[in-house]
Amino acid sequence: MKNHRTPRFLKISLICVVLLCVIVFSSLALFMERQSSETINQVGGLYMESMCEQISRYFETTIEMRLNQVSMLTEETWSEDAEQLQQVRQRMESNARDCDFTHLALLSEDGQFEMFYGEPLRIADPVSYLSSLNAGERKAALGYDSTGSSVVLLGVPCEYLMTDGQECTAMVAGIPVSYINEALSLNVSDDEAYSFIIRKDGSFVLCTDDVVRGNYFDRAIDLYDDVEKKSPKMYVEELKQAMREETDYSTSLSMNGVRRHMFCTKLSYSEWYLLTFLPYGDLDRTIDSLGQKWIRAAFVSCTVILLVLLVVFVVYLSMTWRQLRDLDYARQEAERANKAKSEFLSNMSHDIRTPMNAIVGMTSIASANLENTQQVQNCLKKITLSSKHLLGLINDVLDMSKIENGKMTLNIDQVSLREVLDGIVSIVQPQVNEKNQRFDLSVHDISAENVFCDSVRLNQVILNLLSNAVKFTPVGGAIRMDLQEEPSPKGEDYIRIRLCVGDNGIGMPPEFQKVIFEAFAREDSTRVHKTEGTGLGMAITKYILDAMGGTIEVKSEQGVGTEFYITLDFLKAEVQEEDMILPNWNMLVVDDDRQLCESTVASLKSIGVNAEWVLDGENAVRMAMERHQQQNDYQIILLDWKLPGMGGVETARRIRQCLGEEVPILLISAYDWCEIEKEAHGVGVMGFIAKPLFKSTLFHSLKQFANASGEILPKQEEQEPDFIKKRILLAEDNELNWEIASELLSELGLILEWAENGKVCLEKFTAAPEGYYNAILMDIRMPVMNGYEATKALRALPREDAQTIPIIAMTADTFIEDVNKCLETGMNAHIAKPIDIREVSRILGKYL
Amino acid sequence: MTLKQCYELLEGDYEDVLGRMRKEALVEKFVLKFLNDSSFETLRQGIATRDRETAFRAAHTIKGVAQNLGFTKLCEVSNLLTEELRQDWGESVAVLVRQVEAVYERTTAAILAYKEECAYEKS
Repeated sequence: MKNHRTPRFLKISLICVVLLCVIVFSSLALFMERQSSETINQVGGLYMESMCEQISRYFETTIEMRLNQVSMLTEETWSEDAEQLQQVRQRMESNARDCDFTHLALLSEDGQFEMFYGEPLRIADPVSYLSSLNAGERKAALGYDSTGSSVVLLGVPCEYLMTDGQECTAMVAGIPVSYINEALSLNVSDDEAYSFIIRKDGSFVLCTDDVVRGNYFDRAIDLYDDVEKKSPKMYVEELKQAMREETDYSTSLSMNGVRRHMFCTKLSYSEWYLLTFLPYGDLDRTIDSLGQKWIRAAFVSCTVILLVLLVVFVVYLSMTWRQLRDLDYARQEAERANKAKSEFLSNMSHDIRTPMNAIVGMTSIASANLENTQQVQNCLKKITLSSKHLLGLINDVLDMSKIENGKMTLNIDQVSLREVLDGIVSIVQPQVNEKNQRFDLSVHDISAENVFCDSVRLNQVILNLLSNAVKFTPVGGAIRMDLQEEPSPKGEDYIRIRLCVGDNGIGMPPEFQKVIFEAFAREDSTRVHKTEGTGLGMAITKYILDAMGGTIEVKSEQGVGTEFYITLDFLKAEVQEEDMILPNWNMLVVDDDRQLCESTVASLKSIGVNAEWVLDGENAVRMAMERHQQQNDYQIILLDWKLPGMGGVETARRIRQCLGEEVPILLISAYDWCEIEKEAHGVGVMGFIAKPLFKSTLFHSLKQFANASGEILPKQEEQEPDFIKKRILLAEDNELNWEIASELLSELGLILEWAENGKVCLEKFTAAPEGYYNAILMDIRMPVMNGYEATKALRALPREDAQTIPIIAMTADTFIEDVNKCLETGMNAHIAKPIDIREVSRILGKYL
Repeated sequence: MTLKQCYELLEGDYEDVLGRMRKEALVEKFVLKFLNDSSFETLRQGIATRDRETAFRAAHTIKGVAQNLGFTKLCEVSNLLTEELRQDWGESVAVLVRQVEAVYERTTAAILAYKEECAYEKS
């Protein structure tokens, strides 16, 4: 894969950098070491030379001093007189002994010694010595005495008469070689410096004890190692050459692995050459350790740089990998979404085609059988059903596309939960009845019925859940909805509503539960194939709940049923809750749901009614009887219609039999009671209360009996809102419609003014003083200027009431889209035609 | 002929309209006024000149009036025409116009019949 090119490139470059690093640092180390050892060799050479020079100077000084001593001896004047001569000789002898000379003699021109004292002497190399002395030079040379021990001879030319009458050529004093050895410290250990004195031919004059007497050159050739490609022979040649030319010579050489510096110089007053050897020892060790330090430093810095590089590389690589992984994940995600969409499209096209085919087919059948009214009617019925279904599909898809484009917004308004649920119940009832399902609805302890939320969307959510429950529950099944209030974690101004919609239908497999809230997901199995739908409902539901800040959870088991739990936090509406107080009645609540009973009794208590509850019909009859005997009848009895055992109607009949006609009996039910209305009235039921039983539901339903029974009237009797002298501007292009509206609304005490179209409406509003009109009722479809345009223009007017005046749409268009468009353009509410005075007064009551 | 019978003739929902207007006299007043309503004339003109905007609005108005007066049948057909004209000039406009025309005529005929009978009774 091309994605892996980058890491490979990185690896190769890392290796290159590592190699480069190693090479640069090691060559740098090597170079520096060589440089330093060269420099130190040079320094060492200079040091050695000066050392050797010092040694030779010292030797010279020593020899010169001795020679001077001998010269002092020769200053004695030689005497002719034998006795005086004897004295002179004795003085000389004693002076010489004082100077530690072991021998003293006169030397004849031909090399004969005349000893003053000491063993007889012999010159080692008489020819050159004699010639030098004869030439009048002071000279030192090696000699031997008769015992064979070496002696350094110090000769100073002089002219004394020898005993044989011959004139001598020099006076010679002898000192043992060991003296020079000691004086020059020539005999020292390996580690320190040592020196030899040799003659021109290589023979030793002075040397260490262990050296056998012999020739230095032979010895050098035997013992020395090659130093820097210079063999010992070459070295000896060079040395001989230097001796011939009488120049100083210095080199480094090595013997038995020990490196030494050698310096050769000619000694004055003799034909000798001083060879000084200094071991490099410490110097070498210093250089070595310096080199090692260099290498170590280079290695450490190289390692540090490599480590840093490696860390950077690893971090970079892992970052790259993570990015690649994310990219890969995003790609898969996109592919999955894409796949879901195309699957959805193919499903949708099937789903759309099915009703479409029905419509097309039925239309052609109908047109072929125009005479057969029965058949045409049948066809039309089917066409209506199919078109409704199609419309549902299209609405869902539109909703979803709005959501996907992020265009869905919430229209938060003050909403009564009771009204919302009432509306929902009336919509769901027919569906439930059709499938003969049981529908339970209970509301527990709702303290705040009025909240802020988007009622249209809330409706959509709950309806979707309920219609799903109806859809996926077989005929005769049960559906229930619970509503509960909890304190909200968002604060005291909020309430938390928990809504549960449950059924005992076919349920869902766990795999599907995971994806149920994803768009375009629909369980694809034969089980649900017959049930059509877009698969968007739950996604839309989830989205709406997310937008409202709520949550939804699902619990489901195949074949057992499904439960959806919704949690929503609503801001409490700060409405002046009606002062809901009822007379201090005794009431009985009969329902098989214990929680409902308790909650209802609590609600009743809060509006001033004492209530008792019981769970079934039989006990209800018994309790009513007991009370009757005590002359303390219940004033009102609330009966659930669907009671277990004895039903609500039967219970009512029995109670009626016992108690007579007086006590009002009311049925509570979540069902449409049209079917049982007659029967119920027959047994003396005086009315119905629709579930859910909010506090206000109870209050409004029971209020009428407060009048009937002639007891305390609730304070809040003037229920009709007071519209007297309120001025309404009605924009409506049709005269007849205007007249109807005017006639009907005048009854409410409103003063109406007519504008024939949007433009007139705008003009009238502009011309009127601020606050002149209290509200505007606006038709949408009008000539010259339609309702939307008029509203927009009006809201944009630069006057204070332009923003605040309620504008209510009144139109025959009732699609959700139309309603939303009205609200979007700045209208406050929407009333559908035909004009229903109750609806109009309810809406106006909200805004006036 | 009672107003209720008149409504039966023109396939309207008398209960509904009475529920909203509460008084029979009021219903009668407006039903009779329907005869003077010019919307249908506007619709005809719009259709003749193929002015979609006008035709649509007129159909919409007829629908609104019919709703207000509880003329169920007229409301139904004019609704179909309205939808057909809403976006553009639909294929079935001609057919639907004829339908609206038929229902409209039936409606006015019923109202006229009622009006004459009332006049006769009063005289």
